[in-house]
Amino acid sequence: MASLMVVQHRQPSSTVLSSTLSDFNGARVTFSVQLRRKVWQPRGALRVSASSAKKILIMGGTRFIGIFLSRLLVKEGHQVTLFTRGKAPIAQQLPGESEADFSDFSSKILHFKGDRQDFDFVKTSLAAEGFDVVYDINGREAVEVEPILDALPNLEQYIYCSSAGVYLKTDYPPHYEVDAVDPKSRHRGKLETESLLASRDVNWTSIRPVYIYGPLNYNPVEEWFFHRLKAGRPIPVPNSGIQITQLGHVKDLATAFIKVLGNPNASKEVFNISGDKYVTFDGLARACAKAGGFPEPEIVHYSPKEFDFGKKKPFPFRDQHFFASIDKAKSLLGWTPEFDLVEGLTDSYNLDFGRGTFRKEADFSTDDIILGKSLVLQS
Amino acid sequence: MNTAVASTSSSILSFSSLSSSPSSSSLSPLVRLSFSSSPRHSLSSSLSISPSFIALSSKTPKRAASSLSFTIKAEKKNVLVVNANSGGHAVIGFYFAKELLASGHSVTVLTVGEEASDKMKKPPFNRFSEIVSGGGKTVWGDPADIGKVLEGAAFDVVLDNNGKDLDAVRPVIDWSKSIGVKQFLFISSAGIYKQTDEPPHIEGDAVNGDAGHVGVEKYLSETFDNWSSFRPQYMIGSGNNKDCEEWFFDRIVRGRPVLIPGSGMQLSNISHVRDLSSMLTAAVEKPDAAKGNIFNCVSDRAVTLDGMAKLCAKAAGLPVEIVHYDPKALGVDARKAFPFRSMHFYAEPRAAKAILGWSGTSNLPEDLKERYEEYVKIGRDKKEIKFELDDKILAALKVPVTV
Repeated sequence: MASLMVVQHRQPSSTVLSSTLSDFNGARVTFSVQLRRKVWQPRGALRVSASSAKKILIMGGTRFIGIFLSRLLVKEGHQVTLFTRGKAPIAQQLPGESEADFSDFSSKILHFKGDRQDFDFVKTSLAAEGFDVVYDINGREAVEVEPILDALPNLEQYIYCSSAGVYLKTDYPPHYEVDAVDPKSRHRGKLETESLLASRDVNWTSIRPVYIYGPLNYNPVEEWFFHRLKAGRPIPVPNSGIQITQLGHVKDLATAFIKVLGNPNASKEVFNISGDKYVTFDGLARACAKAGGFPEPEIVHYSPKEFDFGKKKPFPFRDQHFFASIDKAKSLLGWTPEFDLVEGLTDSYNLDFGRGTFRKEADFSTDDIILGKSLVLQS
Repeated sequence: MNTAVASTSSSILSFSSLSSSPSSSSLSPLVRLSFSSSPRHSLSSSLSISPSFIALSSKTPKRAASSLSFTIKAEKKNVLVVNANSGGHAVIGFYFAKELLASGHSVTVLTVGEEASDKMKKPPFNRFSEIVSGGGKTVWGDPADIGKVLEGAAFDVVLDNNGKDLDAVRPVIDWSKSIGVKQFLFISSAGIYKQTDEPPHIEGDAVNGDAGHVGVEKYLSETFDNWSSFRPQYMIGSGNNKDCEEWFFDRIVRGRPVLIPGSGMQLSNISHVRDLSSMLTAAVEKPDAAKGNIFNCVSDRAVTLDGMAKLCAKAAGLPVEIVHYDPKALGVDARKAFPFRSMHFYAEPRAAKAILGWSGTSNLPEDLKERYEEYVKIGRDKKEIKFELDDKILAALKVPVTV
């Protein structure tokens, strides 16, 4: 059965028209019609406007992605509220951020204190407040999202931070958005959330990042390499070191989150968001060295099977190829990453680790297990 | 400027396109719309007002058969394919010629050498009747003498699928220019990309300056107004002149281990040649878009070396034993022992998707099934094959081979 594309005359020529043919269904047309009623356009050309100021709720937003995203949204003129328990400060000056910028941001950012695990509270309090758009940056399970959807029946868009971890391991990469997902993955909560969103009458968008990096990363991705490089230690890499992974800069991810806001091309769509190029494990070690101005690192390959690391992780990446194509986001959203890998790692180094800040103390215990055995083998 | 407009009540699509005058060398971009009935779709480009194109990928190999095609054809072109008489790329010209003929263009294939040569007894040359019955012309000769071989002929488009360096291609380029050919296409190679820590190879990445193909690309860019270069990797498909998947089938079918140098995690692009052909055809039908561009001529998925072995086994419905080895440690030349590069060799067809609105249909699991059927049909599974180098490696590894 062939699916048909309907082009809305209402869209002006400068808007990129939606091309998700097989997703065409009555719901989408309804959505467009609803929007038309909501947004009054004095000049006659009806337009789904991403630029009109919206009342935006970010679930989370004080840790990593949200820090950058909230700033972009505030700059665009939206009213932005962070829903957090209040454990971390709502606004913290970023390294490299000017006083003026920070002052402007902190005077405008709003806080809604609460625990999102308290579903009744979430439902009643959000219903009372009302929001146009929700960015769900820290949601893990579908049950966490239900009360939000229940509370906000007129929501314009629910933008969800999912994960490329939902993809089923493949023999022929890269991962495309249409690929099979793994219902048994440890990210299945994200998957179930995406399914919930799709099953409800809400305009949703899901973003699947791969590995995120950048200043203030709380996941020891680049930090893991920087610790070893700074200590002048060899970098232990499992197996061949030619496993291919992919890093995406947090600022590029934040930009992508902006690009989907109010974008008809993003309606009920999933997007992989990460860097334009992939990288081998060995290559990443070298790129981190370049970023921090360190000499070329000594890389030691080892077979993880030969060791018992207990509960500790000897390496911050999955020991397999893991990367996703960002072609869809590039063509449908007109988004493209600004940072290439070394530039992005340099940005991270200059604004974070290079200033003496990091999230996790260096722990070389697994390295020593690996290196100890290799030393023994060599002698 | 093309516009695509549809009314919401009916589902009629109509196009208006401005064509430039027939004598000018540029044609308005072709808009091709096809609707795939497959639930799996990846849309690689959006419909925008200028330029407009939509590309859908279809799951089924025969794209035209399973989709409704509303295709506006460009003017009928007269295309010359200068084709190598052997090697892994030879089959490209064969598929391209047939696809162009099916699309209504005129095609002449100039194969290097002589029609009577033994080389012509091998595929795809032994199937050239398919080109002739499709309305194409097949001639033989030396490209260095192309002016004599094709005296008096006129062409709109020339594809050189033969030369690996400027010495071989220059005569064809110069002659094409002299007779007013409007578009020159060149089959280069993704092998010219410099090794990188950051795959994939994408158009614009650094290439090895002294590679022969690079010299050709450079000369083309200086000589021809409308030129495009296509950089392929490995391909499978009926009519292939060089073994690809057969190397794996040969071992799997005889219960022999598949010997893979290195970790087996190396990625490669193994595309069905129909994808290469469709990309070239897209360039012929969208010359303005293709102009001055380099295109990685590969499918949009990669496979690991181990993965290829497993897929071949699956296609054959047989088990496979993969044995990895370190060629250096064993003093073995991996290039002789194994048909693919033993490091990452992975390019993506980003330019074709973004600029030509092309999308690939290669589906290795399905395509290999077809390939295996043919492998058995021609009796190659029963053929006596010596595996001298394999045995040498296995002996060095002290791996028992159950015969």
